[in-house]
Amino acid sequence: MRHTLAYPLSAALALTASAALPQDLITRDRVGPADAPNVMTFRLTAFDLYSSDDATREFFEQKFLALMADYPDWRIETQLQTDNIGQEQARMLEQVRAGRGPDCAMIDSSQLGLFKSAGVLSPMNAHFTQAQIDDLFPFVRDGVTDAEGNVLAWWWFTSLQVLYRDTSLVPDAPATWDDLQAAALTTVAAGREGVLFNGGRWEGTAFDWLPTFWAQGGELVDAEGRPVFNEGDNRDKMLAAINYYKGLVDSGAAPSRVTTIINYDEFNAAAAAGTAGMFIGGNWQFAQLRGTLPADQFANWELSELPGPTADQRATGTGGWTIGAFSDDPTAVEICARMAYEIYATEGNAFQGLLPTSASLYDAYDTFDGPEYDAFAEALVNGVARPGAAIYPEISNQLQILLGDVLSGAATPEDALDAAAAAVDAAYERL
Amino acid sequence: MTGDRRIWLWFTPVLLVLGGVFLIPVADVIRFSFSDATLLRPVTGYGLDGYASAYGDDSLPVILRNTGLFTLLSVVSLQAMGLAIALLLVRGDRRGLWGMGLLRTIVLAAWVIPGIANGLIWQMLLSEAPFGAVNSLLRLIGLAPVAWLSDPGNAMLSAVIANVWQGSAFSMIVFYAARRAVDPVLYEAAAVDGASPTAQFLFITIPQMRGAILVNTILVTIQTLNTFDTILALTGGGPGRATEVLSLNIFNRVFYSYDLGGGSALAVLLLAISMMLTLVYLAVLMRKGTR
Repeated sequence: MRHTLAYPLSAALALTASAALPQDLITRDRVGPADAPNVMTFRLTAFDLYSSDDATREFFEQKFLALMADYPDWRIETQLQTDNIGQEQARMLEQVRAGRGPDCAMIDSSQLGLFKSAGVLSPMNAHFTQAQIDDLFPFVRDGVTDAEGNVLAWWWFTSLQVLYRDTSLVPDAPATWDDLQAAALTTVAAGREGVLFNGGRWEGTAFDWLPTFWAQGGELVDAEGRPVFNEGDNRDKMLAAINYYKGLVDSGAAPSRVTTIINYDEFNAAAAAGTAGMFIGGNWQFAQLRGTLPADQFANWELSELPGPTADQRATGTGGWTIGAFSDDPTAVEICARMAYEIYATEGNAFQGLLPTSASLYDAYDTFDGPEYDAFAEALVNGVARPGAAIYPEISNQLQILLGDVLSGAATPEDALDAAAAAVDAAYERL
Repeated sequence: MTGDRRIWLWFTPVLLVLGGVFLIPVADVIRFSFSDATLLRPVTGYGLDGYASAYGDDSLPVILRNTGLFTLLSVVSLQAMGLAIALLLVRGDRRGLWGMGLLRTIVLAAWVIPGIANGLIWQMLLSEAPFGAVNSLLRLIGLAPVAWLSDPGNAMLSAVIANVWQGSAFSMIVFYAARRAVDPVLYEAAAVDGASPTAQFLFITIPQMRGAILVNTILVTIQTLNTFDTILALTGGGPGRATEVLSLNIFNRVFYSYDLGGGSALAVLLLAISMMLTLVYLAVLMRKGTR
C-alpha cells in the first residue's frame, strides 16, 4: 500500500500540532512522564529527535510521543552521542561490557560486527515478521542477523557512494575506470578539476576507495575476521585498485589536492563554485546540491553507479545506522525494536529522505519517487558493507596512510601496501 | 613546628585535588602500559608486550622525527613571534599609541580558540581548491599557488604555522610581563652611552629576559608536544604519515587499533619527555639570579 496521503498528512500533523506538544513529556534528556516507574536508556545521534532543524525535531517528537503513549508506565532517558563515531562506539561497547551501557542504542553499521561478536545484543526476533526480515537488502539482512537467524539489530537506513558528474562536460556516465580517467581529462582540458575524491586521513577515504577493491571480488578479512587483503589474489586486486587512484593523480585526471580532502563538503563547495567536473560522493549529497546550487546549475548534475575495472564489475560501499538493544528487559527490547522500525526505518526515513534498507519501502512513500532513488536502488544491488570485524578501523587507518603516501609520491604502491599489511597484522595480534 | 603543621593543613586539599585529578589518571596510564588491555576487553595479563609492540613499530621513527621537527619549528617560531609582538606592545605602550589594548586582545583571541577550530580555520585558509583563500591571494599578486597540505614537506610547515598562530599569544604574555619588568634605567643609561637599538636589544633585553625565555621555551615545548587537535583537524596526520606526531599517533593507536596497552606505553614516553622538561624548568626557576 502506498502511503501517498498518510505520510504528508502525518508530517503536516506533526508540524501543526507542535504548538500543542506537551513539552514536559519531552526534554533534552527524556521522553515520557518524569515520574514513570520504568526507565530505559536510549543513546542516539543528534540528527533527529534533537535535530537543530525545527521541523525534523518536531516530527520525531510527535513520533516518539505517539509510540510512548502505548507505554504510559515507561520513560526513555536519552543520551546523545557525539559525531566522533569510532571513539563513541568503542566507549559504548566498553560500557556495555561493564554493565553500564544503554538499554537501546544507535550503532554505526560499520561497528555492528563488533557488538555482534561481543555477544552483547539482545535478539529482537519477536518484534519483526519474517516478511519484514526477508524484505531487507541481502547485505543488510546478513549484517543484522547471526548464524542462527536471530535479529540482533535493525539497520534503519543505509547510504552509498555514487559518481556525480556535470553533464555539460561529461554527458555519459563513465562505466569503467578507463572511462572515468578519460572523462576527467576532458574536464581538465575544459579548465576544471577532473574528478575529486576523499584522499586525506579520515574514514571517508578508505570507505570511498574500497569499492574499487570490492568490485574485483577482493576481501579485506576472512570468515574469522583475520586480515587477508595482502594475501594471494587479494594483493593483486589491492595493487590494481591503488594503481587506479595513482593513475588518476599522476595523469592529472584528479588534482594532487585530493590527499587533503577530509570532508564531503569540499565536493559541494567545488560544485557550487563550478570548479569540478566530477566527484565521488555520498547519496545524501544529491539533496544538498539541490538545496545549494541554482536550479539551472543543479540541472546539469547527475549521478551514476561508481565505475568498475570493467563495466560488469561494480561495487559501492554501504553505510548507515542500526538500532540495537542491550537490555534484558523484554519491554525495553520491544520499545527499542518498535522505535527502530516504526519511527526510524519507515516514516523517519521518508521524512528525512534517507535510504531505507527494505526494497518495498521505496515503493511505499512518495519521497522515493525521484529518478535519483532509482539510481540508488540500482547501485545498492552491488552494495558491500564494511566488514564487522574488530580489526576494520585499523585496516581503514592503514589504508588512509597508504593512499596518502602513494598519491603524494612518498611511497610505491607495493611498499605502502606491505607496510599497511604489517601494521594491520601487528594490531590484529594485539586485539 | 606548629607553623609547619599548619602549612601542611592548608596544602592538604590542594594535594588531594591534584592527586585525584592528575596522579591517579597518570598511575592508571602507567598500569595500562604494562597490560594487554584493549578498548574491547579488560586487562587479562601484565607484561612488557605493550612496550615491545609500540616501541618496535616500524612507523615510530618517522613519528618521532615528525614530532621533533614539529616541536623544534614550533618552539623557535613561537618564541620569535611572541617576543616580536611583546616588544611591539611595549614600544606602543611607551609611546602611548592608541589600540595597544585592542592588539593584545586580538592576539589573545587566537589563543582561546579551541585547537580543532584552529585546524579547521587553517584548513580553509590553506585549501588548495581553486577558491582556496591563501592561494587565491598568491594568484592575485602573480605568484604560483602552493601545495600547502598535499605536499608532505609543506604539510608539516602548514601545521607549524597553524600552531604558531594560535600559540604565540602565550609567549607574548610571558615576554610582555618580563620586558615590562626590565628596569628602564638600563635603557636610559645605554642611550646616554650611544648604544643603538640593536645593541640595546642584544645586550640588555635578551640578557634581562633570559629566565623568561628559558621558562617559556620549556612550557611551549611541553604544550607543543601535547598538541594533536589542531593537526587532527588540519591534516589528520597526512598525507600518509607526513604530519603524524606522537600525541596523534597515541590517539590513533587507542581509538583505531583499540590498543590501550600500546597507546599507554607511548603515552608514558610522552610523559617522560615532558617530565624531563619540567625538571629542567624547575632547575631554571631555582637558578639564582634568573628572572
